[in-house]
Amino acid sequence: MISLTHFLVVSACIFCIGLYAVLAKRNTIMILVGIELMINAAILNFVAFGKYDKINYGGQVFALFAIVLAAASVAVGLALILNVYRHFKTINPQDIHELKD
Amino acid sequence: MNVSIPHILDQIIASVPLFKPELVLIIGFIVCIFTALFFEKRWKNSTFIACMVTLAFSLYYLIDQMPNTGTGFSGMWLVDPLSTYARLVIICSTLIIAIFLQQRHSKKNNGDVYSILLAATLGMHVLSSTSNWLMAFIGIEMVSIASYILVGYFSQNKVQSEAAMKYVLFGSVCAAVMLYGLSLVYGLTGNLDFQSAMHLQGLMDAPKAIITLALLFIFVGIGFKLSFVPFHVWSPDVYQGAPTAITAFLSTIPKVGAIVLFARLYQSWTSTAFYFSELSTWFIIGVAIVTMLIGNLAALRQQDVKRMMAYSSIGHTGLLLMAVFAYQDAFSYLLFYIVAYVVMNLASFIFIDQIEQQTGSTSLLSYAGLGKKMPLLFTAFTLVAVSLIGIPPTVGFVAKLMVFTSTFSFFQSSGDTGVLVMLIVGALTSVISLFFYFKIPLYAFLRDTDQPVAVKKQISVLLCIAYTLTILVILFGIFPNWLMAYLSTSFS
Repeated sequence: MISLTHFLVVSACIFCIGLYAVLAKRNTIMILVGIELMINAAILNFVAFGKYDKINYGGQVFALFAIVLAAASVAVGLALILNVYRHFKTINPQDIHELKD
Repeated sequence: MNVSIPHILDQIIASVPLFKPELVLIIGFIVCIFTALFFEKRWKNSTFIACMVTLAFSLYYLIDQMPNTGTGFSGMWLVDPLSTYARLVIICSTLIIAIFLQQRHSKKNNGDVYSILLAATLGMHVLSSTSNWLMAFIGIEMVSIASYILVGYFSQNKVQSEAAMKYVLFGSVCAAVMLYGLSLVYGLTGNLDFQSAMHLQGLMDAPKAIITLALLFIFVGIGFKLSFVPFHVWSPDVYQGAPTAITAFLSTIPKVGAIVLFARLYQSWTSTAFYFSELSTWFIIGVAIVTMLIGNLAALRQQDVKRMMAYSSIGHTGLLLMAVFAYQDAFSYLLFYIVAYVVMNLASFIFIDQIEQQTGSTSLLSYAGLGKKMPLLFTAFTLVAVSLIGIPPTVGFVAKLMVFTSTFSFFQSSGDTGVLVMLIVGALTSVISLFFYFKIPLYAFLRDTDQPVAVKKQISVLLCIAYTLTILVILFGIFPNWLMAYLSTSFS
């Protein structure tokens, strides 16, 4: 029998993997993938908790909205990264540092 | 909640009147997309006109809605004086930003930027009139995505595209962390409305470790929009890289929505005393102190005016947090601070842009000797800077004075050392801010330059707006009662 705890452990693991991908920052696309993993961990949490919220289905509705918003922000992110690639010819965050103190 | 579908439909139809200003924005957004696609090439500025008409109609319905209060859409939409006035500020400043964009970026086919501006406005309206986490998250994401596009829209060089990329990556990570925190809070409480009794009860019963983690995660998302320390690192880069019109937008309007949400959140969490409310009180005091210190100290060594304004607005975020802390019930004072902040920042960014048009630079060194060539502009700019420091007789002084007195009376009643430290830091950083704001008149009036700058005499719509805002800064500073009386009658 799979209980709520299993879902929470899996989602915590996914969140940590996503956070690692963001903090390691080797490649901008990898950072976007990491962000997507973090959002999906939260969505998994929402759906798992939503099972116990039979009245309003708040968790499931939130999951649906989160999926749409994540897709929108990743689309914008990819467009902006493409724009950066045109100017810098690289998408490694460590090589992109025109702005600094 | 086993209610029949006709009942739900009736409820939705009944709550539509509360949603009129936003409906206008939605329709205007769609109209703007079409005009940008089909009419922009034949009639220039058609999208701009559509955007202005939309904003005007939205303003009309908002004023129409003024006396109303109530909730709609099964508690998701909340209309009260705080939300109405916050939306008034948002719409008025969006009007100014739209004119700013039209004056500066009308050469190419830039019609789409107005529809994105309207979408951002809609997001801010959602943020400022909800107490539901789902709506709050949608609002934050709407504002964020629209801002990413606005920063990247005009990007022609390396710096601008880099600013947009940094903004989108940092913003998406913060939103993702906040979403995870929200999912934890939802799991612990089973309710998404943060003002409901069930939500607060769930927070009280939850284990301390998880609730601390969830709180920190949620504050990551709000902190990104408000740009308080340690989530401020994006703002200097983005402010410097973005076109000045967009910087003016970023530094003012999104903060209004976010601070209103934060004030609601803080009010509902501290209304009853439990572990979570103590934690959030300590959090807000600590963050306000660090934000004021870092914002003002880092601004001291900036040579670029836009970057300096970025740090100055971080410092003002600290003061805004202090205002949220000091006025947990009296939202009218918080709104006074918001109005003062928006007026000052809009005026100073219009001045920065005017100077940039003449000299082609935003460096402080390039201001040398310009005071004699543009005396009126620099006098007005100096007045706005005086207001940003908080010296009488300006609106900045009145706003700061009210926050400090209220915090002091809070300290007298509670005797909390943290509050006293916050007060001292607030006063100290106001003195520090004197040194960097006064660099502007120092360079403009007292330093001379070798290379002559050709200054074109011109009277633009934008400058008229900026001078009007400067007059407002002085007027509200001498007669704060005009604004306060207006605000407090509707709150009582």
